[in-house]
Amino acid sequence: MAELRKILRDPVLAATIAVIAVSLFLFVVHPLYKVFQMSVVEDGRLSLHVYRDLLGKPFERRPIYNSLILGALVAVAGTAVGYLFAFAIARADVPWKGFFRIVATFPIISPPFVLSLAAILLLGRRGFITRTVFQGWWDPHIYGLRGLVLVETIAFFPTAFLIMLGILQAVDPALEESSLNLGANRWQVFRTVTLPLSVPGLASSLLVVFVESLADFGNPIILSGNFHVLSVQAYLHITGMADFSGGAALAVILLLPTLVAFLLQKYWVSRKSYVTVTGKPSPARLSVVPFTRRLLCGLCLVVAGVIFLLYGTVVFGSFITLWGANYTLTLKHYVSVFQIGGGYLRDTLILAGVATPITGILGMIIAFLVVRKEFVGKGLMDLISMLTFAVPGTVVGIGYILAFNERPLLLTGTAAIIVLLFIFRNVPVGIRAGVAALQQIDKAIEEAATNLGAGTGRTFVTITLPLITPAFFSGLAYSFVRCMTAISAVIFVVSGKWNLITVAILGLVENADLSQAAAFSLVLVAFVLLALGLMQLGVGRVATSQMGVEAGG
Amino acid sequence: MKRSLGLLAMVVAVAWAMPAQGGQVLHMYTALDTAESQLYIPEFEKDTGIKVEWVRLSSGEVLARLRAEAKNPQVSIWYGGPSQDHVTGKKAGVTVPYKPPLDWTLPANAHDSEWCWVGYYFGAIGFASNTEFLKRAGVPAPSSWQDLLKPAYKGQISIAFPYTSGTSYTVLATLVQMMGEDKAFEYWRKLNQSIHHYDKSGSAPVTQAGLGEVGIAVSFSHDILTKGSDKGYPITMTFPSEGTGYEIGGISLVKGGQEPDLAKKFVDWALSVRSQNLMKQWFRIPLNPKAEVAKGAVRADQVKLINFDAVKAGDERDRLIKRWRSEIGQ
Repeated sequence: MAELRKILRDPVLAATIAVIAVSLFLFVVHPLYKVFQMSVVEDGRLSLHVYRDLLGKPFERRPIYNSLILGALVAVAGTAVGYLFAFAIARADVPWKGFFRIVATFPIISPPFVLSLAAILLLGRRGFITRTVFQGWWDPHIYGLRGLVLVETIAFFPTAFLIMLGILQAVDPALEESSLNLGANRWQVFRTVTLPLSVPGLASSLLVVFVESLADFGNPIILSGNFHVLSVQAYLHITGMADFSGGAALAVILLLPTLVAFLLQKYWVSRKSYVTVTGKPSPARLSVVPFTRRLLCGLCLVVAGVIFLLYGTVVFGSFITLWGANYTLTLKHYVSVFQIGGGYLRDTLILAGVATPITGILGMIIAFLVVRKEFVGKGLMDLISMLTFAVPGTVVGIGYILAFNERPLLLTGTAAIIVLLFIFRNVPVGIRAGVAALQQIDKAIEEAATNLGAGTGRTFVTITLPLITPAFFSGLAYSFVRCMTAISAVIFVVSGKWNLITVAILGLVENADLSQAAAFSLVLVAFVLLALGLMQLGVGRVATSQMGVEAGG
Repeated sequence: MKRSLGLLAMVVAVAWAMPAQGGQVLHMYTALDTAESQLYIPEFEKDTGIKVEWVRLSSGEVLARLRAEAKNPQVSIWYGGPSQDHVTGKKAGVTVPYKPPLDWTLPANAHDSEWCWVGYYFGAIGFASNTEFLKRAGVPAPSSWQDLLKPAYKGQISIAFPYTSGTSYTVLATLVQMMGEDKAFEYWRKLNQSIHHYDKSGSAPVTQAGLGEVGIAVSFSHDILTKGSDKGYPITMTFPSEGTGYEIGGISLVKGGQEPDLAKKFVDWALSVRSQNLMKQWFRIPLNPKAEVAKGAVRADQVKLINFDAVKAGDERDRLIKRWRSEIGQ
């Protein structure tokens, strides 16, 4: 009660909390509730009929197994590659560390389905490698599980890499050195010290990559062949069959493993951290023999080579007159990007441009409230604001069309629905960056301002915000990238007036207009890089290292 | 802080300034390909001064959206897609009648009895085969529906989902009307063994056959010509000897659409000689007798057609799709 009175005495704070609570309810909880409601209410009565119907049919059940199998394989493969990169950089002191770090950010800044496009160009039945290397004696069969594991591993290993890098850098190498000094050989050190210390990170990265794979929509819709997965099936039920209750039920089924993984990660794994730093980590010394270093470096080079090959193919493909028939080089696809894609590009930039600063500021405000203020429902606000992140885009998109298709909240067809979707999907990253930054800043500085007579609003704007500017801008950069490359949720809410370039590219890939799609994707990536560059110029620093942790979807 | 607020003010200002353009706007869903839409819609805008804001969806998706938005229609017109999908649209109550004034007669099978939809082109279902695949496999191009079941084509055929694509539903309805329902499903169960994968869009399989990702695509002849051979892909086109189905491409006015007058203008325009002539570029067969037919385009008298009942096909759509999903399992 005393808390409540204290808040009420500070009207700016009270109003802010109220506005944020209402918006989180309207734009995060309400749409998800609508999805759930749609799946269990039939003719005004509670019924599990839709679920019984779905689960009773083998062809509706199969996508559930498929998604789980795919998620598990990608989680293992992505984490393995991520750990390799992180270990090579943080422990083995391989050469070209900067290069490997940059390579690992490629998949983060490119639209999700670019890798599938590249996989078809290279390994499709008439793909470049299939034709020149295998020459008909082997069909890589990339349409399906195999292709999806390949592209999703490349797409999501950066997440695992960033998580593991954080963990390995936080573990004091002195532990490993002591173990060496006590007579263990290097393999024993790795097996009995380094690996056990990385277990929480490994578990965390397995779960996060698993969730990313479940939520992935851009790759499976292009590459899944007859290996149907949940996110695409939910989409087809709604857009193709107007079966809203079936689509919603599939969305709920998709949400369950995601939520379990999310909660495990948040409340169990993150508690089991063996981070041993108190100060600056001392540099890793002498922890691997030259042979191991060379081996690790070679493995990293192989992965980097695959990534270059995939992206390089997209670049090459964008200059080809007609893939499969006429390999003359041409610029015509770029000409038509600006002729037919100009509108899409403009819409995308405007919407991302409007959503990004709002996302950034909202993220900082919520971070400030969560770290610095005490109020009723604080834990709930923290949990809810992180929720949109874990929830697959498909589920959020379905929720938005269900929730905002009727008065009084009639938003379908407007720019507002896309901007809102962007804001509430990307705000968690800003919040996390803000929370991390705030926890390192002594509260006394703000208290001084308050003692000198500044209100909550003034303190936030003049003291807190300048102190957390780097976190603010890394949140901005990240949410801008996500806005520009988003597809899974926004595909449900685009309209004739406001269309997005990713949706246009997806249409091109679906129509197998591969070179044109490649040109569009590259122009999109160019704009993302340009915007990141401008932000960096403007602020001097964009903490790109924080960007990848939650990429995907 | 000031800088970021300034930036915020700037983007908001730009966002507000951009859409502030006067004039009339027609909102449209089109089932035509994006590339094809761009052949016609800008011409309509030029001719009438009406701006069109359009979204491209497969025709099954248009139908799904119109049903979903029935309480709050977002568009005034549905442009393109086989008439049987428009028949389903009428049955679902998402369209309204409009009889365009014509100085020529639209055949009875090319408009709804109550003018809830009007037809504006003709197109027959055909097979697109990649000639390099045929050469490699040493097989001829398929010339009948039964041919498609040959082991040589196993895993080489691509077609769209009948529920997302009007093209593919036309194939399903054709088979049902030609063979009888149970036989047709028995046939498709066998055909399913030969299908590499299903697509969302009815014309996408053509390009995949062109690329060589699959050997054979089942699609409309105009799409086979435009997106296949005319583009430079090694594609040869054949038609089934048992007879094939066809579409009359339709246009419907959407019930509750905000711009009925603009939508009517669009229907009138789409049936005009000028607009019908534009379809030459996509090898569609115009219905207006005064319009020109593209060289190489396949007219109704050049292939063996079945006696296709589009109204029946439209009426049965929901039931057949349901059966298809549970029996084929895709």
